[in-house]
Amino acid sequence: MPDDALPHPDLVAAIPRLRRYARVLTGEATRADDLVQDTLARAWEKRRLWQAGTDLRAWLFTVMHNVFVNQRALARREARNVSIDADDAGEVWQIAVRPNQQLRVELAEVLASIGRLPVEQREVLLLAAVEELKYEEIAAALDVPIGTVMSRLSRAREKLRRMDAEPAVALKVIRNNPA
Amino acid sequence: MSATINDDDLSAWADGQLSPERRAAVEAALAADAGLAEKARAQRAQSAALREALDPWLAEPIPTRLLAAAAPPPLPSAWVAWRPFLAAAATLALGLAIGWYGRDLTLERSGTPTTFARAAAVTHVLYAADQRRPVEVWANEEKGLVTWLTRRMGVQAHAPDLNSVGFALIGGRLVAGHERPTALLMYENAEKQRLTLQWRRNDPSVEETAFRYAVESGVGVFYWIDHDCSYALSGRVDKAQLLAIARVVYGQLAAAEAQPQK
Repeated sequence: MPDDALPHPDLVAAIPRLRRYARVLTGEATRADDLVQDTLARAWEKRRLWQAGTDLRAWLFTVMHNVFVNQRALARREARNVSIDADDAGEVWQIAVRPNQQLRVELAEVLASIGRLPVEQREVLLLAAVEELKYEEIAAALDVPIGTVMSRLSRAREKLRRMDAEPAVALKVIRNNPA
Repeated sequence: MSATINDDDLSAWADGQLSPERRAAVEAALAADAGLAEKARAQRAQSAALREALDPWLAEPIPTRLLAAAAPPPLPSAWVAWRPFLAAAATLALGLAIGWYGRDLTLERSGTPTTFARAAAVTHVLYAADQRRPVEVWANEEKGLVTWLTRRMGVQAHAPDLNSVGFALIGGRLVAGHERPTALLMYENAEKQRLTLQWRRNDPSVEETAFRYAVESGVGVFYWIDHDCSYALSGRVDKAQLLAIARVVYGQLAAAEAQPQK
Protein backbone atom coordinates (compact mmCIF):
# COMPACT_ATOMS: atom_id res chain seq x y z
CA MET A 1 0.00 0.00 0.00
CA PRO A 2 1.41 3.35 -0.88
CA ASP A 3 1.39 5.87 1.91
CA ASP A 4 -0.55 8.45 -0.01
CA ALA A 5 -3.64 6.28 -0.20
CA LEU A 6 -5.42 6.55 3.13
CA PRO A 7 -8.52 4.50 3.84
CA HIS A 8 -11.65 6.46 3.10
CA PRO A 9 -13.29 7.31 6.45
CA ASP A 10 -16.84 6.70 5.23
CA LEU A 11 -15.87 3.30 3.92
CA VAL A 12 -14.04 2.42 7.09
CA ALA A 13 -17.12 3.39 9.05
CA ALA A 14 -19.20 1.04 6.92
CA ILE A 15 -16.86 -1.94 7.20
CA PRO A 16 -18.24 -3.43 10.43
CA ARG A 17 -21.75 -3.49 8.99
CA LEU A 18 -20.51 -4.87 5.70
CA ARG A 19 -18.71 -7.62 7.56
CA ARG A 20 -21.85 -8.45 9.46
CA TYR A 21 -23.95 -8.56 6.32
CA ALA A 22 -21.29 -10.67 4.63
CA ARG A 23 -21.29 -13.14 7.50
CA VAL A 24 -25.03 -13.45 7.30
CA LEU A 25 -24.75 -14.02 3.55
CA THR A 26 -21.86 -16.45 3.50
CA GLY A 27 -22.14 -18.02 6.93
CA GLU A 28 -18.40 -18.14 7.31
CA ALA A 29 -16.08 -15.50 8.69
CA THR A 30 -13.16 -15.76 6.26
CA ARG A 31 -15.36 -15.96 3.20
CA ALA A 32 -17.27 -13.04 4.62
CA ASP A 33 -14.15 -10.90 4.79
CA ASP A 34 -13.23 -11.96 1.26
CA LEU A 35 -16.64 -10.77 0.19
CA VAL A 36 -16.15 -7.46 2.00
CA GLN A 37 -12.81 -6.99 0.28
CA ASP A 38 -14.31 -7.73 -3.13
CA THR A 39 -17.16 -5.39 -2.35
CA LEU A 40 -14.84 -2.53 -1.45
CA ALA A 41 -12.84 -3.07 -4.61
CA ARG A 42 -16.03 -3.09 -6.62
CA ALA A 43 -17.27 0.02 -4.85
CA TRP A 44 -14.10 1.86 -5.87
CA GLU A 45 -14.53 0.73 -9.45
CA LYS A 46 -18.15 1.76 -9.50
CA ARG A 47 -17.85 4.83 -7.31
CA ARG A 48 -19.32 7.06 -9.97
CA LEU A 49 -22.55 5.13 -9.69
CA TRP A 50 -23.02 6.19 -6.10
CA GLN A 51 -25.20 9.24 -5.96
CA ALA A 52 -23.79 11.72 -3.51
CA GLY A 53 -26.23 12.53 -0.76
CA THR A 54 -27.79 9.08 -0.75
CA ASP A 55 -27.08 6.56 1.96
CA LEU A 56 -23.61 5.18 1.29
CA ARG A 57 -24.28 2.19 3.51
CA ALA A 58 -27.37 1.18 1.51
CA TRP A 59 -25.40 1.52 -1.69
CA LEU A 60 -22.59 -0.63 -0.32
CA PHE A 61 -25.12 -3.30 0.64
CA THR A 62 -26.32 -3.16 -2.96
CA VAL A 63 -22.80 -3.61 -4.26
CA MET A 64 -22.18 -6.47 -1.86
CA HIS A 65 -25.41 -8.18 -2.81
CA ASN A 66 -24.44 -8.01 -6.48
CA VAL A 67 -20.93 -9.27 -5.88
CA PHE A 68 -22.30 -12.09 -3.77
CA VAL A 69 -24.94 -13.10 -6.29
CA ASN A 70 -22.40 -13.07 -9.12
CA GLN A 71 -19.91 -15.14 -7.19
CA ARG A 72 -22.60 -17.57 -6.23
CA ALA A 73 -23.79 -17.94 -9.79
CA LEU A 74 -20.21 -18.54 -10.85
CA ALA A 75 -19.67 -21.13 -8.14
CA ARG A 76 -22.85 -22.88 -9.18
CA ARG A 77 -21.80 -23.00 -12.75
CA GLU A 78 -18.53 -24.51 -11.65
CA ALA A 79 -20.21 -27.07 -9.46
CA ARG A 80 -23.19 -28.10 -11.50
CA ASN A 81 -24.35 -30.65 -8.99
CA VAL A 82 -25.17 -28.05 -6.37
CA SER A 83 -28.85 -27.65 -5.68
CA ILE A 84 -30.31 -24.49 -7.09
CA ASP A 85 -33.42 -24.64 -4.98
CA ALA A 86 -33.68 -21.16 -3.55
CA ASP A 87 -35.48 -22.42 -0.53
CA ASP A 88 -32.75 -24.86 0.31
CA ALA A 89 -30.31 -23.29 2.71
CA GLY A 90 -27.49 -25.33 1.31
CA GLU A 91 -24.64 -23.10 2.42
CA VAL A 92 -22.52 -24.26 5.24
CA TRP A 93 -23.06 -22.09 8.25
CA GLN A 94 -19.95 -22.13 10.33
CA ILE A 95 -19.84 -18.96 12.29
CA ALA A 96 -18.42 -19.84 15.60
CA VAL A 97 -19.92 -18.32 18.66
CA ARG A 98 -17.04 -16.73 20.41
CA PRO A 99 -16.80 -17.36 24.10
CA ASN A 100 -15.63 -13.80 24.73
CA GLN A 101 -18.83 -12.45 23.27
CA GLN A 102 -20.56 -13.77 26.33
CA LEU A 103 -23.56 -14.66 24.34
CA ARG A 104 -26.40 -16.05 26.21
CA VAL A 105 -27.68 -19.40 25.06
CA GLU A 106 -30.70 -17.88 23.32
CA LEU A 107 -28.50 -15.60 21.29
CA ALA A 108 -26.38 -18.50 20.13
CA GLU A 109 -29.61 -20.13 19.11
CA VAL A 110 -30.63 -17.04 17.19
CA LEU A 111 -27.45 -17.30 15.18
CA ALA A 112 -28.00 -20.96 14.51
CA SER A 113 -31.56 -20.25 13.45
CA ILE A 114 -30.58 -17.54 10.99
CA GLY A 115 -28.22 -19.99 9.41
CA ARG A 116 -31.09 -22.28 8.62
CA LEU A 117 -32.95 -19.68 6.59
CA PRO A 118 -32.53 -19.51 2.82
CA VAL A 119 -30.03 -16.82 1.97
CA GLU A 120 -32.69 -14.67 0.26
CA GLN A 121 -34.65 -14.50 3.49
CA ARG A 122 -31.54 -14.03 5.58
CA GLU A 123 -30.48 -10.93 3.74
CA VAL A 124 -33.91 -9.32 3.88
CA LEU A 125 -34.17 -10.09 7.56
CA LEU A 126 -30.77 -8.61 8.26
CA LEU A 127 -31.39 -5.47 6.26
CA ALA A 128 -34.85 -4.86 7.70
CA ALA A 129 -34.67 -6.05 11.28
CA VAL A 130 -31.02 -5.48 12.08
CA GLU A 131 -29.82 -2.72 9.77
CA GLU A 132 -33.24 -1.08 9.81
CA LEU A 133 -33.15 -0.04 6.19
CA LYS A 134 -36.39 1.15 4.64
CA TYR A 135 -38.23 -1.47 2.64
CA GLU A 136 -37.80 0.58 -0.50
CA GLU A 137 -34.06 0.72 0.08
CA ILE A 138 -33.98 -3.04 0.54
CA ALA A 139 -35.98 -3.59 -2.63
CA ALA A 140 -33.55 -1.34 -4.49
CA ALA A 141 -30.50 -3.01 -2.99
CA LEU A 142 -31.68 -6.50 -3.86
CA ASP A 143 -33.27 -5.43 -7.13
CA VAL A 144 -36.59 -7.10 -6.33
CA PRO A 145 -40.12 -5.69 -6.02
CA ILE A 146 -41.10 -4.44 -2.62
CA GLY A 147 -43.75 -7.14 -2.39
CA THR A 148 -40.99 -9.72 -2.62
CA VAL A 149 -39.14 -8.02 0.20
CA MET A 150 -42.25 -8.12 2.34
CA SER A 151 -43.06 -11.75 1.66
CA ARG A 152 -39.47 -12.85 2.27
CA LEU A 153 -39.45 -10.92 5.48
CA SER A 154 -42.70 -12.46 6.68
CA ARG A 155 -41.51 -15.93 5.82
CA ALA A 156 -38.16 -15.38 7.49
CA ARG A 157 -39.79 -14.15 10.66
CA GLU A 158 -42.28 -16.97 10.69
CA LYS A 159 -39.59 -19.59 10.20
CA LEU A 160 -37.43 -18.10 12.90
CA ARG A 161 -40.36 -17.99 15.24
CA ARG A 162 -41.16 -21.63 14.60
CA MET A 163 -37.55 -22.64 15.09
CA ASP A 164 -37.49 -20.83 18.38
CA ALA A 165 -40.73 -22.49 19.34
CA GLU A 166 -39.75 -25.99 18.31
CA PRO A 167 -37.62 -27.03 21.27
CA ALA A 168 -40.04 -25.54 23.71
CA VAL A 169 -42.42 -27.85 25.52
CA ALA A 170 -45.51 -25.77 25.03
CA LEU A 171 -45.88 -24.59 21.49
CA LYS A 172 -47.26 -21.15 21.05
CA VAL A 173 -49.84 -21.94 18.44
CA ILE A 174 -50.20 -18.88 16.31
CA ARG A 175 -51.03 -20.22 12.92
CA ASN A 176 -50.23 -17.96 10.14
CA ASN A 177 -50.62 -19.06 6.57
CA PRO A 178 -47.77 -17.77 4.50
CA ALA A 179 -49.11 -15.61 1.72
CA MET B 1 -62.44 -0.28 13.83
CA SER B 2 -60.34 -3.13 12.69
CA ALA B 3 -59.07 -2.72 9.18
CA THR B 4 -57.66 -5.93 7.79
CA ILE B 5 -54.17 -6.21 9.17
CA ASN B 6 -51.85 -8.42 7.17
CA ASP B 7 -48.38 -9.74 7.71
CA ASP B 8 -46.85 -6.80 5.91
CA ASP B 9 -48.50 -4.42 8.34
CA LEU B 10 -47.14 -6.37 11.26
CA SER B 11 -43.65 -6.35 9.79
CA ALA B 12 -43.84 -2.66 9.09
CA TRP B 13 -45.14 -2.01 12.56
CA ALA B 14 -42.35 -4.03 14.12
CA ASP B 15 -39.78 -2.28 11.95
CA GLY B 16 -41.28 1.15 12.58
CA GLN B 17 -41.96 1.75 8.91
CA LEU B 18 -45.68 2.52 8.92
CA SER B 19 -47.02 5.90 7.95
CA PRO B 20 -48.63 7.70 10.92
CA GLU B 21 -52.16 7.04 9.63
CA ARG B 22 -51.52 3.40 8.96
CA ARG B 23 -49.81 3.00 12.30
CA ALA B 24 -52.84 4.37 14.08
CA ALA B 25 -55.04 1.90 12.24
CA VAL B 26 -52.73 -1.02 12.98
CA GLU B 27 -52.40 -0.11 16.63
CA ALA B 28 -56.16 0.13 16.92
CA ALA B 29 -56.39 -3.36 15.48
CA LEU B 30 -53.72 -4.63 17.86
CA ALA B 31 -55.59 -3.14 20.82
CA ALA B 32 -58.69 -5.01 19.75
CA ASP B 33 -57.02 -8.36 19.11
CA ALA B 34 -54.82 -9.88 21.80
CA GLY B 35 -53.54 -12.63 19.51
CA LEU B 36 -52.50 -10.15 16.89
CA ALA B 37 -50.88 -7.93 19.48
CA GLU B 38 -48.92 -10.86 20.83
CA LYS B 39 -47.72 -11.71 17.36
CA ALA B 40 -46.69 -8.13 16.67
CA ARG B 41 -44.81 -7.87 19.95
CA ALA B 42 -43.12 -11.18 19.20
CA GLN B 43 -41.87 -9.76 15.93
CA ARG B 44 -40.50 -6.72 17.59
CA ALA B 45 -38.82 -8.88 20.21
CA GLN B 46 -37.39 -11.04 17.48
CA SER B 47 -35.80 -8.04 15.79
CA ALA B 48 -34.38 -6.89 19.09
CA ALA B 49 -32.99 -10.35 19.74
CA LEU B 50 -31.37 -10.39 16.33
CA ARG B 51 -29.71 -7.05 16.93
CA GLU B 52 -28.57 -8.12 20.32
CA ALA B 53 -27.08 -11.26 18.85
CA LEU B 54 -25.39 -9.59 15.92
CA ASP B 55 -24.34 -6.22 17.28
CA PRO B 56 -21.26 -7.58 19.10
CA TRP B 57 -19.75 -8.24 15.66
CA LEU B 58 -19.69 -4.53 15.00
CA ALA B 59 -17.17 -4.00 17.78
CA GLU B 60 -14.64 -6.41 16.35
CA PRO B 61 -11.37 -4.88 15.16
CA ILE B 62 -11.19 -4.34 11.40
CA PRO B 63 -8.61 -6.55 9.67
CA THR B 64 -5.84 -4.60 7.97
CA ARG B 65 -6.62 -6.07 4.56
CA LEU B 66 -10.07 -4.52 4.75
CA LEU B 67 -8.65 -1.18 5.82
CA ALA B 68 -6.38 -1.37 2.82
CA ALA B 69 -9.34 -2.12 0.60
CA ALA B 70 -11.05 1.01 1.90
CA ALA B 71 -8.23 3.11 0.46
CA PRO B 72 -8.37 4.24 -3.15
CA PRO B 73 -7.00 1.51 -5.42
CA PRO B 74 -3.25 2.07 -5.75
CA LEU B 75 -1.60 2.90 -9.02
CA PRO B 76 1.68 1.11 -9.55
CA SER B 77 4.36 3.77 -8.94
CA ALA B 78 5.78 3.45 -12.45
CA TRP B 79 2.33 4.00 -13.78
CA VAL B 80 1.98 7.36 -12.07
CA ALA B 81 4.84 8.85 -14.07
CA TRP B 82 3.67 7.21 -17.26
CA ARG B 83 0.04 7.93 -16.75
CA PRO B 84 -0.40 10.55 -19.48
CA PHE B 85 1.37 8.39 -21.98
CA LEU B 86 -0.47 5.30 -20.94
CA ALA B 87 -3.74 7.15 -21.24
CA ALA B 88 -2.82 8.18 -24.74
CA ALA B 89 -1.74 4.66 -25.57
CA ALA B 90 -4.94 3.28 -24.14
CA THR B 91 -6.94 5.68 -26.26
CA LEU B 92 -4.98 4.64 -29.28
CA ALA B 93 -5.40 0.97 -28.49
CA LEU B 94 -9.10 1.49 -27.98
CA GLY B 95 -9.31 3.35 -31.25
CA LEU B 96 -7.48 0.56 -33.02
CA ALA B 97 -9.73 -2.01 -31.43
CA ILE B 98 -12.84 -0.12 -32.40
CA GLY B 99 -11.43 0.39 -35.84
CA TRP B 100 -10.60 -3.27 -36.15
CA TYR B 101 -13.90 -4.56 -34.91
CA GLY B 102 -15.79 -1.79 -36.59
CA ARG B 103 -14.04 -2.48 -39.87
CA ASP B 104 -16.34 -5.15 -41.17
CA LEU B 105 -19.29 -3.21 -39.93
CA THR B 106 -18.23 0.00 -41.59
CA LEU B 107 -17.28 -1.71 -44.76
CA GLU B 108 -20.43 -3.71 -44.80
CA ARG B 109 -22.50 -0.60 -44.16
CA SER B 110 -20.81 1.10 -47.05
CA GLY B 111 -21.42 -2.02 -49.05
CA THR B 112 -17.83 -3.04 -49.41
CA PRO B 113 -14.93 -5.39 -48.88
CA THR B 114 -15.23 -8.35 -46.61
CA THR B 115 -18.81 -8.99 -47.44
CA PHE B 116 -18.37 -7.65 -50.93
CA ALA B 117 -15.54 -10.08 -51.59
CA ARG B 118 -17.66 -12.92 -50.29
CA ALA B 119 -20.63 -11.88 -52.37
CA ALA B 120 -18.38 -11.52 -55.40
CA ALA B 121 -17.07 -15.05 -54.97
CA VAL B 122 -20.56 -16.46 -54.62
CA THR B 123 -21.73 -14.57 -57.67
CA HIS B 124 -18.70 -15.74 -59.58
CA VAL B 125 -19.40 -19.37 -58.71
CA LEU B 126 -23.02 -18.99 -59.67
CA TYR B 127 -22.52 -17.49 -63.13
CA ALA B 128 -19.11 -18.73 -64.18
CA ALA B 129 -20.42 -22.28 -64.01
CA ASP B 130 -23.32 -21.45 -66.26
CA GLN B 131 -22.50 -22.69 -69.74
CA ARG B 132 -25.61 -21.57 -71.53
CA ARG B 133 -26.23 -18.13 -70.19
CA PRO B 134 -23.45 -16.84 -67.98
CA VAL B 135 -24.22 -13.27 -69.01
CA GLU B 136 -27.27 -11.28 -69.96
CA VAL B 137 -25.61 -9.23 -72.64
CA TRP B 138 -22.95 -10.74 -74.84
CA ALA B 139 -19.72 -9.10 -75.72
CA ASN B 140 -20.56 -8.76 -79.39
CA GLU B 141 -22.61 -5.80 -78.30
CA GLU B 142 -19.84 -4.45 -76.11
CA LYS B 143 -20.69 -0.83 -76.65
CA GLY B 144 -24.32 -1.44 -75.78
CA LEU B 145 -23.23 -3.45 -72.77
CA VAL B 146 -21.10 -0.66 -71.37
CA THR B 147 -23.79 1.91 -71.99
CA TRP B 148 -26.39 -0.27 -70.34
CA LEU B 149 -24.27 -0.90 -67.26
CA THR B 150 -23.39 2.77 -67.04
CA ARG B 151 -27.02 3.74 -67.07
CA ARG B 152 -28.10 1.09 -64.61
CA MET B 153 -25.24 1.70 -62.20
CA GLY B 154 -25.32 5.46 -62.45
CA VAL B 155 -21.59 5.54 -62.86
CA GLN B 156 -19.46 5.34 -65.95
CA ALA B 157 -18.68 1.69 -66.78
CA HIS B 158 -15.55 0.51 -68.51
CA ALA B 159 -14.84 -2.91 -69.91
CA PRO B 160 -11.12 -3.56 -69.47
CA ASP B 161 -9.42 -5.34 -72.33
CA LEU B 162 -7.74 -8.44 -70.88
CA ASN B 163 -6.60 -10.00 -74.14
CA SER B 164 -3.04 -9.19 -73.19
CA VAL B 165 -3.33 -11.66 -70.31
CA GLY B 166 -5.23 -14.22 -72.32
CA PHE B 167 -8.80 -13.47 -71.30
CA ALA B 168 -11.52 -12.32 -73.65
CA LEU B 169 -14.69 -10.56 -72.65
CA ILE B 170 -17.77 -12.77 -72.88
CA GLY B 171 -20.33 -10.27 -71.74
CA GLY B 172 -21.95 -8.86 -68.66
CA ARG B 173 -24.94 -8.75 -66.38
CA LEU B 174 -26.45 -6.97 -63.48
CA VAL B 175 -26.59 -8.73 -60.16
CA ALA B 176 -28.85 -7.77 -57.31
CA GLY B 177 -26.60 -6.63 -54.50
CA HIS B 178 -27.53 -5.59 -51.04
CA GLU B 179 -28.85 -2.04 -51.32
CA ARG B 180 -27.29 -1.49 -54.73
CA PRO B 181 -26.93 -3.51 -57.91
CA THR B 182 -23.60 -4.96 -58.80
CA ALA B 183 -22.30 -4.93 -62.34
CA LEU B 184 -20.55 -8.02 -63.63
CA LEU B 185 -18.28 -8.56 -66.61
CA MET B 186 -17.15 -12.06 -67.48
CA TYR B 187 -13.96 -13.08 -69.24
CA GLU B 188 -12.79 -16.43 -70.45
CA ASN B 189 -9.43 -17.80 -71.59
CA ALA B 190 -8.52 -20.54 -74.04
CA GLU B 191 -8.77 -23.15 -71.25
CA LYS B 192 -12.35 -22.03 -70.59
CA GLN B 193 -11.34 -20.58 -67.25
CA ARG B 194 -13.52 -17.69 -66.36
CA LEU B 195 -12.93 -14.49 -64.50
CA THR B 196 -15.47 -12.02 -63.33
CA LEU B 197 -14.99 -8.36 -62.66
CA GLN B 198 -17.69 -6.96 -60.41
CA TRP B 199 -18.20 -3.49 -59.13
CA ARG B 200 -20.69 -1.50 -57.23
CA ARG B 201 -20.97 2.03 -56.04
CA ASN B 202 -19.72 3.19 -52.67
CA ASP B 203 -20.93 5.70 -50.24
CA PRO B 204 -18.91 8.89 -50.70
CA SER B 205 -17.41 8.42 -47.23
CA VAL B 206 -15.62 5.20 -48.12
CA GLU B 207 -11.88 5.53 -48.37
CA GLU B 208 -9.85 4.07 -51.14
CA THR B 209 -7.91 0.94 -50.44
CA ALA B 210 -5.10 -0.97 -51.99
CA PHE B 211 -5.64 -4.44 -53.34
CA ARG B 212 -6.84 -6.98 -50.90
CA TYR B 213 -7.02 -10.65 -51.44
CA ALA B 214 -9.42 -13.20 -50.14
CA VAL B 215 -10.24 -16.77 -50.96
CA GLU B 216 -13.88 -17.54 -50.65
CA SER B 217 -15.31 -20.94 -51.52
CA GLY B 218 -12.15 -21.80 -53.43
CA VAL B 219 -12.42 -18.68 -55.53
CA GLY B 220 -9.64 -16.13 -55.35
CA VAL B 221 -10.84 -12.55 -55.09
CA PHE B 222 -8.80 -9.39 -55.42
CA TYR B 223 -10.82 -6.42 -54.32
CA TRP B 224 -10.17 -2.77 -53.92
CA ILE B 225 -11.97 0.49 -53.54
CA ASP B 226 -11.58 3.30 -55.94
CA HIS B 227 -13.03 6.70 -55.41
CA ASP B 228 -16.62 5.83 -56.13
CA CYS B 229 -16.74 2.10 -56.67
CA SER B 230 -15.65 -1.12 -55.04
CA TYR B 231 -14.21 -3.68 -57.42
CA ALA B 232 -13.70 -7.40 -57.15
CA LEU B 233 -11.87 -9.59 -59.61
CA SER B 234 -12.64 -13.24 -59.01
CA GLY B 235 -11.52 -16.51 -60.51
CA ARG B 236 -10.22 -19.96 -59.80
CA VAL B 237 -6.72 -19.03 -60.78
CA ASP B 238 -3.66 -18.74 -58.61
CA LYS B 239 -3.04 -15.68 -56.61
CA ALA B 240 -0.06 -14.38 -58.56
CA GLN B 241 -1.86 -14.67 -61.86
CA LEU B 242 -4.97 -13.05 -60.44
CA LEU B 243 -2.91 -10.21 -59.02
CA ALA B 244 -1.25 -9.63 -62.38
CA ILE B 245 -4.67 -9.45 -64.04
CA ALA B 246 -6.02 -7.21 -61.28
CA ARG B 247 -3.18 -4.79 -61.97
CA VAL B 248 -4.07 -4.70 -65.63
CA VAL B 249 -7.71 -4.08 -64.78
CA TYR B 250 -6.81 -1.40 -62.26
CA GLY B 251 -4.47 0.32 -64.68
CA GLN B 252 -7.01 0.38 -67.49
CA LEU B 253 -9.79 1.65 -65.24
CA ALA B 254 -7.54 4.37 -63.88
CA ALA B 255 -6.58 5.38 -67.39
CA ALA B 256 -10.22 5.43 -68.44
CA GLU B 257 -11.19 7.53 -65.41
CA ALA B 258 -8.47 10.00 -66.31
CA GLN B 259 -10.06 10.53 -69.72
CA PRO B 260 -12.54 13.35 -69.77
CA GLN B 261 -16.02 11.90 -70.06
CA LYS B 262 -18.27 13.33 -72.63
